[in-house]
Amino acid sequence: MVQLVGSLRKELADSLSACRVLVVGAGGIGCELLKNLVLTGFKNIEVIDLDTIDVSNLNRQFLFQKKHVGKSKAQVAKESVLQFCPTANITAYHDSIMNPEYNVEFFRNFMLVMNALDNRAARNHVNRMCLAADIPLIESGTAGYLGQVTVIKKGLTECYECQPKPTQKTFPGCTIRNTPSEPIHCIVWAKYLFNQLFGEEDADQEVSPDTADPELTWNPADTEARATASDQDGDIKRVSTKDWARSTGYDTVKLFNKDCLSESLFKDDIQYLLTMDKLWKKRKAPLPLDWLEIQKLGKILEVTGTGLKDQQVLGVAGYSQLFSRSVETLRSMLADKGDGAELVWDKDDPPAMDFVTAAANLRMHIFSMNMKSRFDIKSMAGNIIPAIATTNAVIAGLIVLEALKILSGDVEQCRTIFLNKQPNPRKKLLVPCALDPPSANCYVCASKPEVTVKLNVHKTLVLALQDKILKEKFGMVAPDVQIEDGKGTILISSEEGETEANNSKFLSDFGIRHGSRLQVDDFLQDYTLLVNVIHCEDLEKDVEFEVVGDAPDKAPTPPSAQEDKNVANGNKDSAEPSTSSKAPAEQDDVLIVDSDEEEPSSSTMDVRMESGGHKRKLHDAETGEASAKRQRLDQPLAADEEDDDIIALD
Amino acid sequence: MIEKEESIISEEEAAQYDRQIRLWGLDAQKRLRGSRVLLVGLRGLGAEVAKNLILAGVKGLTLLDHEQVTEESCRAQFLIPVTAQGQNRAQASLERAQYLNPMVEVKADTDRVETKPDKFFLQFEAVCLTGCSRDLMVRVDQLCAQHNIKVFCGDVFGYHGYMFSDLGQEHNYVEEKPKVVKPKTDESNDGPEAKKPKVDPNETTMIKKTASFCSLKVALEVDWTNEKAKSSLKRTPVDYFLLHVLLKFRTDKGRDPHPESFEADATLLRQIRDDVLEAMGLSSELLPHDFVSYCFSEMAPVCAVVGGVLGQEVVKVGCQLPSLSSPIPGLETGTHRQQPPSKHRYPSLHKSCGSCSARGSTTPSLRASDV
Repeated sequence: MVQLVGSLRKELADSLSACRVLVVGAGGIGCELLKNLVLTGFKNIEVIDLDTIDVSNLNRQFLFQKKHVGKSKAQVAKESVLQFCPTANITAYHDSIMNPEYNVEFFRNFMLVMNALDNRAARNHVNRMCLAADIPLIESGTAGYLGQVTVIKKGLTECYECQPKPTQKTFPGCTIRNTPSEPIHCIVWAKYLFNQLFGEEDADQEVSPDTADPELTWNPADTEARATASDQDGDIKRVSTKDWARSTGYDTVKLFNKDCLSESLFKDDIQYLLTMDKLWKKRKAPLPLDWLEIQKLGKILEVTGTGLKDQQVLGVAGYSQLFSRSVETLRSMLADKGDGAELVWDKDDPPAMDFVTAAANLRMHIFSMNMKSRFDIKSMAGNIIPAIATTNAVIAGLIVLEALKILSGDVEQCRTIFLNKQPNPRKKLLVPCALDPPSANCYVCASKPEVTVKLNVHKTLVLALQDKILKEKFGMVAPDVQIEDGKGTILISSEEGETEANNSKFLSDFGIRHGSRLQVDDFLQDYTLLVNVIHCEDLEKDVEFEVVGDAPDKAPTPPSAQEDKNVANGNKDSAEPSTSSKAPAEQDDVLIVDSDEEEPSSSTMDVRMESGGHKRKLHDAETGEASAKRQRLDQPLAADEEDDDIIALD
Repeated sequence: MIEKEESIISEEEAAQYDRQIRLWGLDAQKRLRGSRVLLVGLRGLGAEVAKNLILAGVKGLTLLDHEQVTEESCRAQFLIPVTAQGQNRAQASLERAQYLNPMVEVKADTDRVETKPDKFFLQFEAVCLTGCSRDLMVRVDQLCAQHNIKVFCGDVFGYHGYMFSDLGQEHNYVEEKPKVVKPKTDESNDGPEAKKPKVDPNETTMIKKTASFCSLKVALEVDWTNEKAKSSLKRTPVDYFLLHVLLKFRTDKGRDPHPESFEADATLLRQIRDDVLEAMGLSSELLPHDFVSYCFSEMAPVCAVVGGVLGQEVVKVGCQLPSLSSPIPGLETGTHRQQPPSKHRYPSLHKSCGSCSARGSTTPSLRASDV
């Protein structure tokens, strides 16, 4: 005799009330998910989110109201849910899931973990924690009208990292510094400039002309010679950009015109580029700006109209005025912070956004590109993914439905489900796909994962190995590295201070050479990876390392202004990014973007840094990479399954 | 009656709607801001639709429901406070609904929908019916079609849900396609190296399309006895018939199947199934014996899925959004449903879009032509 509690059979309803579940993220998907969980009958829920509420969240994160702006998402979400379900037992953590406090033991408390994240690093981490704890994980993502849900169960399905995901698109240094051809190059340049002047300096974020541009010479030896030469006399000219700017008092006339070191950005540097005539044989040459001439153009025309203020495109005069104003504001913000202070770029910080808008536009103008509105630049610079309530609502509903299967002991009924923008030829808006088994070569979930990395042992610093390779590329949080040299030499220790002295040394200093093997452990993630080293001296310029077996891509760069990336690729001129132009090319393709949200605002940066315990650049901002996963419509689903899962449509 | 859209968008709106303006554009947002929608029924599905429409930023949403809050409705819905028992459901939902977005005019109406005169419905651009009887849905659909008011219907029964939309006999919509621009040789465009024909998103061509929708009455009154219909039976989701059964139950009992009277209701459901299928000339095997276990109450996640798709359709079409995409083709001919579980296996539920078997009936099928 069937007993129902609401819609559910009693046994299922009982197990829902008893079990504990973890929701990682309290944003777009998270809010909808928490609501669905309590209304379905889940009683014990823990939710974690490091972020605070922003006004732009309010169009979809319905547990938040305007009065909550600035408060902790996890905390307010909990309070709002308790309003309509006071008997729910909810624990909220305003924290980063990557905090070592949330170890394997922590994860083992839960029957089920559900991600509601917006960045790759956290997803990788939770993936590993759930594998280590052997807890089922439901992954999901949304972008615009599209969404996706999938289930990860150790040993049964692919893990999140089984399939290589496309990495962030990066641009070669010479493109940014010498030969930009698209607005995004100019935006990246502007963000680099911000950091050079006001923020954390980064050798990979140079803005001055690149004399070592490979295009300038046929002979690689020449390039090398030029690079050395420029470094040497660069030392004289190229005092850190920030110090130089400070010394001029951030006088924009100087920044604009004066032959001050090699840093006068919009005229002198451009004139310098013009001398590199090889670059301009087949390209339109840039036109240097003259600040004083521009001033003569008079006041900016404030265009009124019915559009958004931010969607106006000002002229050169307007942007040069905006540039001056924002530099002045930022200069005083920096001064207020005291010695040795730095600003962190934040798209929601108006002067920072103004600065990038102005600088990027001036550069676009110099390089004969149509200038863009602040609205558009913000999208690109801030990696904004458009988002609406309904997509998140549908996906969060699907997550709970998958959860119910798992809790009923029917994990083999679980599917990957894609939410399309349009029904496919079979008229399905929601398309289920069978889950794939784990990949034998997965560098995370295979039994003894191994990778091979090509790098130059004489030029790769231990610090770079730790930060760029092990953390950024391989998603570790706290790696420990031993060299398999018979002595078990410890190269990197995750304990602070222990191997700090090694950071500025090269790998070769420790006897690492071609064929060396490194054993890398992340004890938090309960993850061991064997790294085989191949010494290579002719990697491409700007490429520090290559993982053998990866699709060719450039080395990942630190937070940069990447457009939100989708399979449509590259240059996006539209104010309606990604998804609207992303109608599946073929009927069967659904292009899903990891729902990667914007670059974090400074407030979240702070939280992360506190909880991280030490300073590190967490790249929580992620561009929307496309995980183009084909729907396998011809997947031979058994007839039975079809009845259950596929909605036959006429 | 369409209100003149205000052309200015405030700073507050720009900030709040930023992420959706980046998806569907400023003009669409402005149009949305000019529409008034009626939502009937504030159970689980109704609450989801209300949330979605309010967050999207319609001009006004009227919540119409004559029922009272019971203990069950508190648990089923996130707008009603737990202290509101005995109050009217629409009234009780009002405060939280309004908090979702103070810029939307949210009203509560406690009347029975059946008692509303025709002219009541005419003040809206779109009407969304949940929890309504078949007769009412047919009546409202017919009335609204004459006045170019868009009608949407939807329900959730346990694990199952459906939605239906009627956008009229001649629904005009517009598809915006970016124009392909040939490279200009002397003028610089978006880069000194622009040599390939580029898609210039600032220039789009508008392609007019027309689609025709069948009425709910027609959708539900398919004649299954003719040969053509029989042949398409195999590809008709079983849910279509389940819907008939559940709507009949609702008409006969004045309520939906309730877990508290599971035994009696289950028996009645099976009886109705036999009657309905027999009247259609079909075998009662079409709906297996255990179908009753899965159609009680409203499953929250199913409400979320159906409410999400339904909400988005209302936003997209009913609020005059120039279709970035055309309306869901399946919608254009009829009902949407969910698959019932087969055997005893745990079902997975997905929102479906589909036509009723317009194939084999005399319903005009979708006609979309470039003008």
